[in-house]
Amino acid sequence: MTQTDRHTPIVEIRNVTKRIGSKTIIENLSFDVPRGEVFGFLGPNGAGKTTTIRMMVGLMSITGGDIRIGGYSIRTHFEQAIRHVGAIVENPEMYKFLSGYHNLVHYARMIPGISSDRIQEVITLVGLENRIHDKVKTYSLGMRQRLGIAQALLHKPSVLILDEPTNGLDPAGIRELRDHLRRLTREDGISVIVSSHLLSEMELMCDRVAIIQNGKLVDVRQIGEYVQAEERQRVAFELEPLDQAKRMLEEADVEAVTDGRELVVNFDKPQIADWNKRFVEAGIRVYGIRSTAKSLEDQFLEMTGSDPIA
Amino acid sequence: MGLLLIAIVVTYAIFSHAGANPDHDWRAAARATIEHNQQEINNPDLPVKYKINMREEMALQQYALDHQLPPMETTLWGGVQRGAGLIQIITLFTVIIAGDMVAGEFTWGTIKLLLIRPATRAKILASKYAATLLFAAALLVTLFVSALIVNGILFGFQNIGLPHLQVLADGTVHESSMLLYVLATYGLKLIQLVMIVTLAFMISTVFRSSSLAIGLSIFIMFMGQVITFFFMRYSWGKYFLFANTDLTLYLEGKPLEEGMTMGFSITVLIFYFLLFNILSWEIFRRRDIAA
Repeated sequence: MTQTDRHTPIVEIRNVTKRIGSKTIIENLSFDVPRGEVFGFLGPNGAGKTTTIRMMVGLMSITGGDIRIGGYSIRTHFEQAIRHVGAIVENPEMYKFLSGYHNLVHYARMIPGISSDRIQEVITLVGLENRIHDKVKTYSLGMRQRLGIAQALLHKPSVLILDEPTNGLDPAGIRELRDHLRRLTREDGISVIVSSHLLSEMELMCDRVAIIQNGKLVDVRQIGEYVQAEERQRVAFELEPLDQAKRMLEEADVEAVTDGRELVVNFDKPQIADWNKRFVEAGIRVYGIRSTAKSLEDQFLEMTGSDPIA
Repeated sequence: MGLLLIAIVVTYAIFSHAGANPDHDWRAAARATIEHNQQEINNPDLPVKYKINMREEMALQQYALDHQLPPMETTLWGGVQRGAGLIQIITLFTVIIAGDMVAGEFTWGTIKLLLIRPATRAKILASKYAATLLFAAALLVTLFVSALIVNGILFGFQNIGLPHLQVLADGTVHESSMLLYVLATYGLKLIQLVMIVTLAFMISTVFRSSSLAIGLSIFIMFMGQVITFFFMRYSWGKYFLFANTDLTLYLEGKPLEEGMTMGFSITVLIFYFLLFNILSWEIFRRRDIAA
């Protein structure tokens, strides 16, 4: 059975295209989501993240290409494919006039083989025991988010898809969500796909990130790769006098930029030490040396440019 | 809504019962009718058509006198029969439910969580339609049972075994089950209910707006007769849905327009029924959930 094979990706996206009218929203998108990872889906607003997620869960039709989940095509074998998926698309909308518990019961009824024990289990998992019998309209956004996750986990999915899960959560809530997702991937071996336009958050949450822009895939990389992609690092020297230091660098044919306070250069580790020595020997006062490793944000903006929203 | 319906049934039954004359002697009235008809039949100016009706009427009244059967209107069955008019209320209630059935899920945003369950959209829509009709069925049972009980209390249960009388073609009087007759009346009224509810359900699915679905359906329900009357001036008027919903007209032998038959109306009804359902289904199945 495909599900037991740890090496096949849980979600395969193949040449997916979405057109609405004459407008192409997603163009020829292909990537895989490996099992047991938190997979980030990154892109500026309007890049097509939500559209792609909606196509993954069958809320939107696919114009061309195919999406396979657990080996089943979402187009032709919807019921088998969606069985592997638990999802929250945008906000976790629940029936506000029902209690959290009855919301779960309602969704459980639509999937065969969910016992009341399982419902209790997910409630404990998301930590809603105390409020589960209250009406959903009395819940805070964080509690609704937890209920949304409970709902998505009911049928023990192999992949959890969360669209903009941190929207509207406070820092504590975001941290809690992050720990939750980490635990789910580590303990239950399920994959998580999260979309976001918040880079710093993705950096902390994900093992791997796909970046899309204007409906096209820009890059898929592991998070570690992003930050330490370059052997040389950008280093800022705080010096006085700046001009003299700059001249020295120019004479040695080293490119340096200054903002009037600091000198920024691309150095590897030995170079940093060597140049520090040379500056001191030349009588330049060195106040500080600081690594300015490119953040994911810088790299992201570099990659996607600052194009207007398509 | 069930309790509201029962309250309406009780009120309606009490008012219509109060309107009936309690001291009314049906035997005297029956004798008077027979005597009156006897004279009229001898009147040479009267068309034959009316005379046939009168003869039938006489036979019925005589049969009732001979077998000590009070007319239906003075028994609980009359009350239950009049209760069939309250199916309009049920239609109203069910339209409100149907109008919100699919549109509500869109408004709440819960449609997204609903459609990512392992069930095809066709299944989900079909269960929603079935739930709507079950709601109507539950109200209908409530109406019938409460009408029977309330009228039984008001008129007394002694005539519950009253048969339904009918004059056959050979002029003899035939007894049949009153329960079946009353149920048939309810059944024929149901056609309009099902059509309007299906219409509301379709609007709810296609336009995703519960207010539009409820408003438009109720408007059509109340204005249906007026619109029909207006459309009947044109040759295509008979194809209008509401020109065909009242099948009792054919039982009484007076169709809305010459040439319209029960078969024609049933065909038109089936056409509209399929049209509404196929429209809902096709559009619901293909729709991209973007909101």
